[in-house]
Formats: sequence, structure tokens, C-alpha cells
Amino acid sequence: MRIDSLILRTAVRLVLPLTVLLAIYAALNGHNAPGGGFIAGLVTTVGLCTYRMAFGERAFHRLFPVHPRWLVVAGLGLTLVVAIIPLLAGEPLLRSASTVLRLGGQELHLVSATVFDLGVLVVVVGVAVGMITRLGEELGP
Amino acid sequence: MTNHLLGLLVVIPMATSVVSVALVGRRRPQRVLGVLSLGSMLLLSLRWLLEIRDGDVLVSQMGAWPAPFGITLVFDSLSGLLICAGLVVALGCYVHGFSTLSPETERRYFHPLAQLLMVGVNQCFLTGDLFNLFVGFEIMLMASYGLLSIGGSRRQMGQAYKYLVLNLVASTVFVISAGLVYGMLGTLNLADLARIVSGRVASGEGLPTGFVAVSVLLLFVFGAKGAMFPLWFWLPDTYHTPPVAVAALFSGLLTKVGVYAVARTFPLVFAVGEARDVVTPLLVVSAGVTMFLGVLGAVSQHSVRRILAIHVISQVGYMVFGLSMMTTAGLAGALYYMVQHMVVKSSLFLCCGVMERHTGSDDLDKVGGLLKRDTFLGVSFFVAAMSLVGLPPLSGFFGKLVLIREGWGIHWWLSVIALLTGALTLLSMLKVWTTGFWLPPGSETSTPTGEPGGLRGAYVGIGFLVITALFIGLAAEPIYDIAFHAGEQLTDPTVYIEAVDPHGLVASLGGSG
Amino acid sequence: MTTVLAICVTVMVTVSVYLMLSRELKSIAMGVFLLGHGANLAILAMSGSPVLPWGGLRQPPILGGEHLVDALPQALILTAIVINFAVMGFFLTLLIVTARKTGTLNVDELAGEEPPRSSPELASEPAPVAGLETRSVAD
Repeated sequence: MRIDSLILRTAVRLVLPLTVLLAIYAALNGHNAPGGGFIAGLVTTVGLCTYRMAFGERAFHRLFPVHPRWLVVAGLGLTLVVAIIPLLAGEPLLRSASTVLRLGGQELHLVSATVFDLGVLVVVVGVAVGMITRLGEELGP
Repeated sequence: MTNHLLGLLVVIPMATSVVSVALVGRRRPQRVLGVLSLGSMLLLSLRWLLEIRDGDVLVSQMGAWPAPFGITLVFDSLSGLLICAGLVVALGCYVHGFSTLSPETERRYFHPLAQLLMVGVNQCFLTGDLFNLFVGFEIMLMASYGLLSIGGSRRQMGQAYKYLVLNLVASTVFVISAGLVYGMLGTLNLADLARIVSGRVASGEGLPTGFVAVSVLLLFVFGAKGAMFPLWFWLPDTYHTPPVAVAALFSGLLTKVGVYAVARTFPLVFAVGEARDVVTPLLVVSAGVTMFLGVLGAVSQHSVRRILAIHVISQVGYMVFGLSMMTTAGLAGALYYMVQHMVVKSSLFLCCGVMERHTGSDDLDKVGGLLKRDTFLGVSFFVAAMSLVGLPPLSGFFGKLVLIREGWGIHWWLSVIALLTGALTLLSMLKVWTTGFWLPPGSETSTPTGEPGGLRGAYVGIGFLVITALFIGLAAEPIYDIAFHAGEQLTDPTVYIEAVDPHGLVASLGGSG
Repeated sequence: MTTVLAICVTVMVTVSVYLMLSRELKSIAMGVFLLGHGANLAILAMSGSPVLPWGGLRQPPILGGEHLVDALPQALILTAIVINFAVMGFFLTLLIVTARKTGTLNVDELAGEEPPRSSPELASEPAPVAGLETRSVAD
């Protein structure tokens, strides 16, 4: 479905980068505070779908040239790898490793669960975009 | 004992599913990968089953979070036996599917969905808490919705909705009950729940208000998934329409997971204290009616697939009969019966698939003389059908023997119904055997459709399942021993609780109960 | 607060039951989705109260803070939402495929035995039922 409106197009151009920024913030923030991969994925999807609505399908394909299926494969693969690695080290599945990085007086808490969350993000974007594209096609161009 | 590799039973099919999605459209690599995945899981779980044959319990805490906080995977005698049986069934149906599924269906995500089904089934069997049981259910159901509707005809679509809506409603009730349990007792870990509930009953404190209501709600949920008495109406149509390999997979796995959920949660938690007085009569009545009406329905049918599908219901009745006794031998008998039923029932469905290929129909009026045409099929069908009936050297006999003998002292009339049901099962199986295989074909026999060859996969699948069924019958003692350990662990959950929570962490924190 | 939530849950469940009793698959779908949301709200209502039934305050199991809500029910709800989301995607896709294949979304007409209508548009090859959506339960 496409809504032909100059206002929407202009707004989306501004909003899409901000949405992605918000999604990244939510994904990285999600370890100890509200946020996380699923929410970040949905935020990204909303941005992408608004873009599709404003610019039409062809422009969307230029922005998003892969079939959503591959995102699902990649994301699930990433989460599975992160889940399995601890097994090789004799730890239970999904065990999260964490380390604190000191950068010029600032402490940065790095956790392997973040990578898992990023995998979730990619899966959610893949599934949601795939679903909405598929359903959107039914409503006509 | 801790064994971190338990998670592999969930990870392997998931990874296979992901890779299969990447390989969509390329049949050969998908097939090889799928068989490898199922085969490796089967070997792993058989190894673990041997390891725990003396009643040990293997446990793995996901992410190293200790028991009541994290996700626990438990591989005890109950789940071990069912996982092995489930994987045998899946392997047989999978290989059978190679030659009976239309290439079109196979290309449309059959392989990823079948693997996803195994993710859900294994997770249901392994998980140690109520909420992950729900998640496992959902993964399994998602895959089954997909499998049910791929390449769907109009009729198949109509049936898919019935199944879909019923299961969605049941799942929602499950979520609500899980929330209620958490609100009442502050935990969802089954071992923790068992400890709290039995502690409260023992100290005379009594169960929290509404606990009995939650028990009944959960019975509704599992009853709907397991096709028990008032909630079975979705089953015959669901198993009638999809491709035969899918129907066989469903008949072996879906309802059993529902029955497993009752076996796992009710003796441990939801049928303790005053809840038992409410739940047991429900189970007893449901068992009797499910057994008897199920078999009556089957006798009245004339299409092989429908006969087999309705028999599933009647045999769920036997399992519920065993569960309703809540004694060690009763539970063990139910478990043994479940294991053999999964294998036998799936092999019957697979035989029916080959029959359809030979004659183009599964209507008893239109088939006949199959024994001459396909001796292997005839013999396999006979062995499987007689196991289902329960003829002595075969597996069904031992299951029924234990159930009926144990039931005699508790609900003798249920044992009588069980015997009657057995006789009617024999009747309907003989009907299929004589008209379909023994008697010469009638005049209106339809001509065979499709190419005659290309049934190698089907024969391998059937042979594998029938040999396993024979093995279960001949090796009844060691398998029943494991089932007996499961019964003991369910009636006296201390071993289970200690295995899940070895350091008594919950108890040391004072618990929330 | 619990009372308000309880009333909301009641209303949602009532509406969804009403919708599910309809003969149109679209309404049934809406009813099912609404029921899922009602269930989530019910979990929130049941475990949101920090006062335990046997007295005392519920402590968050992991963090042990003072003014925190128990995190577990929220995790449960999030999981249930993800699953609902996947189910919704699947259900809607199935609805579309059915509508295209059979030209009707009425339960009675679907249950009937008559062959599908043969208008060229409706008889066209249906799109593959997306197996894709089923994936998202995995996370």
C-alpha cells in the first residue's frame, strides 16, 4: 500500500534514521534496562514499513534488497552460535560471558548476551518485514 | 547428575531447521540433513537413556542460572523414554515422506517445519518448568499449523481452522493458568512447585484458594491437546486431511505431548492434596468414555485413515486410565503403553499411506487383495495392527496387561471397559485386514494411481517402525523397568526435586511458600 | 488497581468470546487475538501486586531491590506477546490464502463439500503458505 503524500515522504526521510538510532539504543540498552532485541526489531520494522508506505515497493526493495528469509536464517544462526559456544567450553547452553572494559576512566560492560540479542533483532526484522510485505501485497500496490 | 549436552536435543533440530530454510527448494541436501539430525539425536538420547536406566536424572540449567530462577532441562526416565520414542517415530515418518510426499509439498517448507516440530516436542519433554512447557507447546503447534496447511486443499483449509482456533484458545487458557500458579505460589519451576505444594499439604496449611480451579483449568488445556473425552472433536478431521507422513507424525507426537503434560505435572503438583479428590474422578470418567466411545466411533467408520485416527482417541483413553490411578504401576503402565502406541500407531498410518498409493483410496469398499500384491505391506500392517490390539508376544499386550491388572483393584469397571475396548479394537482391525488385505478385490476397486516404483523410502520407514515395535514387545522387561522408575519418581518426587535443585537453594532461601 | 485490571480482562474476554462465536473467520481471528491480549493483562493483574497472599512483600527474585516490580511475569508476558505475534502473522496469512483459494471466509461455506469456484482469479496458484512466520517463536 502506498500513500502518496509529500509531507509523509519528507517526514519519513527524517524519521527513518532516527528510528534506526532508537532501535540501536534499545538493543544495546536492553541488558539491564527496558529494551532488548525484540523491541528494537519491532522499532526498526515500523521505520521500514513507514518507508515502504511513503515511497512504494520499488524504493523499498532498493533500500532492503534481500529476501526477509535470509535475515531470519542469519539471525537464528547467530543466536544459535552464541547459544552453543558455551557448550564447547563445558558450560551449560546459553551461558553468558561478561567482561568490563576500561576506556579512559569510563567502564564499559560487555556481555555476550548482547550478540544473542542482536540475533533476535535480525530475526524479528526479518519475520516482521516479511509478514507485512506479504500481507501488504494483498492490499494492492 | 548434570549433563550440559541436554540442550543439544533442542539445538540440533533448530539448527537443522535454519539450514533447511536456507536450502529450500533443494530436496536432496535437505533430506540428508534432516535424517542426520534426527539420527544423531536418537543416538544421543538412547545413550542417555542407558545412562539413566537405574533411575538417575540428568539435569542442565540453562545459562547456569540455578534452578528456580533459570530454565531447567530434565532428562529423567519419563522424558527419556518419550524422547526416544518420539525420535524413532519422527525418523520413520520422515523417511517415509521421501517417497509419499508430493515434491510440491516437500519444497514448501516441509523439512524446516518437521524439524521445528521436533524442537517443540523435545522441549516439551525436557523442560522443567510450566512456562517453558507452554513455549514448547506453542513451537510444536506452530510447526503443526504449518504442516497441516501446506499445499492445502479447500477441505484441508477448513479443518486447519478448527484445529488452529481450538489450540489457540487452549494455549491462552494455559497462559492464564500459568499466571495464576505464579500468582499463588511465586514460582513456575515444577520441582519447586512440587516441594512447596507437598510441604503445604504435609504441614496441614492447605493449598491456596483457587488451586483446585487451576488444576481443572490445566486439565482442560492438556485434555484439549491430548484429545481426551469432551475435547476430542478436532482430531479425526485433522488426521484425515494432510499428507500421510504428516498425519503419521501427528498421530505419534501431538496427542502424546498432551498426555505427557498430564503425567508430568499432575502427580507432581496439580493432583496433590484436596486437588486429587477433584481431578481423579474427572480423569477416571474421561478415561472410560474416551476409551469406549473412541473405539465405537472407529468400528463404525469405513475409511482406513478415519479408523486409525479415531483409534488414537480410544488409546489416549488407555493412557489416561493409567494416569488416573496415580499409583506407581499405573503410571508406569501408562508410560509403557504410550511409548509402544506412538511407534505402532505411526507405522499403521504409514502402511495406510502405501495402501493409498497402491489403490488410490483408503475406502475399504475400494481396496482388497493387497496381501498378494504387496506381501511386505501386509505383514507389517498385520504385526502393527496386532500390537495395537495387544496380542501376547507383541508390545501392546504388556501395556494393557499392566494397566488392566493394576486397574482391577482400583476401578474394576474401567478394566472391564478396557477389555471390551480391546475386543472392539480387534474387530475393527480385523475388518481392515480381511477386506483390505485378505479378500480378493471387489468389483468397484479403483485402479492404482501414480507410478508403482519409488516406494523405497516408504518401506524403509515402515520397516524401521515395525521392527522397533517388535523390539519394544520382545524387550518389554528392560523398557518396563525404566517406565517403572518413572512411575516411582512421579509418585515420590524427592529424587526429581533433589536432581533439579541439588543444593536446596530454594529451601535455604526460605522459599516463597 | 487489581479491580480495574480485572474488569478490563473481563471485558476483553467477553468481547473476544462474542467475536469467536461468529461465523466469519475474520471475526474469529480478531477474537483469538483479543483473547491473547486479555490473557497477558490477566498475568499482569495476577502477579503485579507486590503483596503476597500470605502476607509480606514480594521480593524480585534476582535483583533484590526495594521498589522493583517482579520481573518474571513481565518476561512471561513478553514471551506470550512474541508467540501471539507469530500466531497472528500465520493466521492472517492463512486467511488470505483461504480467501484466495476458496473465495469465502465463512465457516459454513468452508465446511461444505462443493468444489472451489473456478473463476480464473481465484483458481490461480496460491502463494506458498509462509512457513517463515513460524520462526519467530524461536527467540
